[in-house]
Amino acid sequence: MNADQFIQALLDEARKQGMQSAEIYLNSTDSFRAMCVKGDITNYTVYATRGLSLRGLYQGKMGYAATEAFDEDAVGSLVEAVKESAILTEDEDIQEIYPGDGEYPKIDNYSPALDQVEEKKKLQLIQDIEKKALAMDERITALNYNMISTASSETRIVNRIFSGSDAPGLDLRYRDNMAVCFVSATAKEGDRVSTGSGFKATRDFDELDAEQIAREAVDEALFMLKAAPVPSGSYRAIIDAKCMPDLLGVFSGVFSAESAQKGLSLLAGKEGETIASEIVTLMDDPLLPGGLGSQPFDAEGVATRTKAVIEKGRLTTLLHNLKTARKAGVKTTGNAARAGYAGAVNVSPSNFYFAPGERTPEQLMQDMKNGLVITEVSGLHAGANPISGDFSLIAQGYTVKDGRKDQPVEQITVAGNFYQLLKNIRAVGSDLCFPGSSVGSPSVDVGEIAVAGK
Amino acid sequence: MLKQEIAQAVIAEALKTGGDFAEIFLEDRQNNNVSMLSGKVESVNSRRLHGAGVRVFHGFQGVYVYTNDTSMEGLMQCARRAASAIRGADKIAAKGLAWQDTPSIHAIKERPDQVKTARKVEKMKAAQAILKEAPEIVQGSINYMDSVQRVWIANSEGLFTGDTRVYTRFSVSAIASNGTENQTGGENPGAMQGFEIFDSRIDPEACAKTAAKRAVTMLHAPVCPAGVMPVVIDSGFGGVIFHEACGHSLEATAVAVGNSEFCGKLGQKIAADCVTAIDDGTIPNEWGSLNIDDEGTPTTKLVLIENGILKNYMIDKLNARRMQMPITGSGRRQGYMFAPTSRMRNTYIAAGNDENEEMISTMGDGLYAKKMGGGSVTPTTGKFNFAVAEGYLVKDGKIQHPVRGASLIGRGSEILLKIDRVGKDMQMAQGMCGSISGSIPTNVGQPMIRVSSMTVGGR
Repeated sequence: MNADQFIQALLDEARKQGMQSAEIYLNSTDSFRAMCVKGDITNYTVYATRGLSLRGLYQGKMGYAATEAFDEDAVGSLVEAVKESAILTEDEDIQEIYPGDGEYPKIDNYSPALDQVEEKKKLQLIQDIEKKALAMDERITALNYNMISTASSETRIVNRIFSGSDAPGLDLRYRDNMAVCFVSATAKEGDRVSTGSGFKATRDFDELDAEQIAREAVDEALFMLKAAPVPSGSYRAIIDAKCMPDLLGVFSGVFSAESAQKGLSLLAGKEGETIASEIVTLMDDPLLPGGLGSQPFDAEGVATRTKAVIEKGRLTTLLHNLKTARKAGVKTTGNAARAGYAGAVNVSPSNFYFAPGERTPEQLMQDMKNGLVITEVSGLHAGANPISGDFSLIAQGYTVKDGRKDQPVEQITVAGNFYQLLKNIRAVGSDLCFPGSSVGSPSVDVGEIAVAGK
Repeated sequence: MLKQEIAQAVIAEALKTGGDFAEIFLEDRQNNNVSMLSGKVESVNSRRLHGAGVRVFHGFQGVYVYTNDTSMEGLMQCARRAASAIRGADKIAAKGLAWQDTPSIHAIKERPDQVKTARKVEKMKAAQAILKEAPEIVQGSINYMDSVQRVWIANSEGLFTGDTRVYTRFSVSAIASNGTENQTGGENPGAMQGFEIFDSRIDPEACAKTAAKRAVTMLHAPVCPAGVMPVVIDSGFGGVIFHEACGHSLEATAVAVGNSEFCGKLGQKIAADCVTAIDDGTIPNEWGSLNIDDEGTPTTKLVLIENGILKNYMIDKLNARRMQMPITGSGRRQGYMFAPTSRMRNTYIAAGNDENEEMISTMGDGLYAKKMGGGSVTPTTGKFNFAVAEGYLVKDGKIQHPVRGASLIGRGSEILLKIDRVGKDMQMAQGMCGSISGSIPTNVGQPMIRVSSMTVGGR
């Protein structure tokens, strides 16, 4: 069966089997990925996949089941599985299938031209990057990672409410695509080894400039060759626009009403209170042009909208889906999300970022005069505790002396608390950046930070 | 299912640009999961995975294309996409396909996908009842999972076969707390077996008792002292150290590209004389067993190390070309979303001649690691670091008291040479092993062994 026939058969069966409502969440993706190592193309993988989840109310409770096979057998067994799941799940919260909004925003995040780019051209790009990077400096010994990937995907939600409603139900679609190139270069000098990375995500393939991506990775690797730890102590610090999104991303869950209601966020009940420095505005913007998290509707079919989560330091709202909003007695913020087509509905931000300020990163350094710029943190899963807000992370970056970039720094750990960091922010730069995900930030002057080094 | 004429056409299409080997793998899989937290059924999830992948070789080059669209058109398109990445000079013709049944060595009595979920929940509730009554246990998490995977494999060498793999697993995790600190204990038994597993291998109540006891024991244990000392590692999950620190280094994935400390060591002594290690995919109903691997090759019992001498590597089809050595029935993958590569099955240190009591009574001062936890290994150097989930301090050959926070640190090649006792009772335990071809079920195992000296991390 094709997707349309399969969806219709599922809806018919769901109604026949006594379900009160049914929703189909369908994701289809076409993807290409290849790497280039020493001139050879490796890990050449192409796929076209689709998966579908059926969800709906039966005897007042929500059940779930998912499939990748769109055949006759799947129709009956899927509905049966949803009913069984609904009966056995012991969740007292009221859930619902959304009847829909009158209007949905329009977002243009699909480039037909990108889907037409030939594979030859994609392979040529990573071969060029490797050649160029190796030719840039004799200390560059290899690219330890050199990948191009493209993905084009469509999300579709179809639903029906069978009992007590004649609503026609929803049929929403959203299509987007993206090309991503990621490179990591290794530099060696004597017994020193360092790495640097280059990255670009775009919908315009011609924006992927081999020279520029190679240069970014090579420059960082060479700069880091001389890196050393700084003495332990408290430092004035800026977290740059490539690094801050990683930190914000790890702690983004604390803004979820689901986390708050489960007692996993210290922001529970803090709406309306000041939780950050007055310079801080934190946006959740599903309508952002070009955003990786852009979407006209959320995973429950609710029309999305742009909102400030923190406005000038004040927490204006947590992020909600229908279930958490009902429990809190508020309106959903349109932040229902699912991890893949088969995941349960939870809460997640869309494009999530600190609103940029006026000052350039160079001006932030001049204002700070002396201190550190942190450019990378790692060990986020072990070293950051989203419940307490505490973090202690391996970091690298460079020192700032008299307002200028000075010496490379590595093998230090930076420690602090995310909630405290929000309050300490002194300035926000103008260089808003989304390094490969839907979480973004400009460079941020975070005041004093504890550093463990030599 | 995969029809013969479709498979034949897809393979022919895949070879059109000069590939020298082509293969199609089709999978249809039903996964069922039930999870319970603090006595409440949190979720009941079923998911049917369905898809196929076409692989083409040209020399050492491998191309992989996969899809969920397993119609004739969908599969032919996969074949064309894969072929378009190959530029071969000589074109070969595929051999004709002839279906070959796979005889199963793993008896399945009750297919778990045909068992009502309510019966699965009953087993979970039995375990939960134990946790609820256990003193100091503040939270219990119980999971049930089953999976029925059907595969069809055809290739240009004329192979056309298939198999059905049935898995059932049960896991209990208990958290003990004294208000300021938490300790976790867990049990996760499973097998290539149906729901009848609850008549023999899995006793939900016993699982819960073991998990709860371990959590409570560790809650009251003082911190383990650090130092270099003899270590006795108990049977079962203790085998995880061999799996991680030695097993992965014997997979062609590492060996073929020179990324292993055991490269070029065939026929050489790499372990103490008392060590014989085996990777066996043929044990009936074991978690890591198979009938055929994911390249369609019948699975084997492979001696990796015999009385200390390195005998074999685990080798898949593509790496066999690089290494110019025969395949070993070790080509595995999580599913159609991955190209297969060499992986472990049930990997264990074989039973030896030593007595468990003697091992401990003659060890002097050291550590008895009753249950191992998770860890990590750097493959190029073999350096590893494992947590001890349940450990006991030994003084003058006598077990003293439990200790927490212990870890074992070392290098795979060094520890193998320092094993000085191997017990008689080999036991296996289940795990999910993650690597480049995805997450697959594998068994680890060993009898109780003793390592004459090891670095123990603690405080």
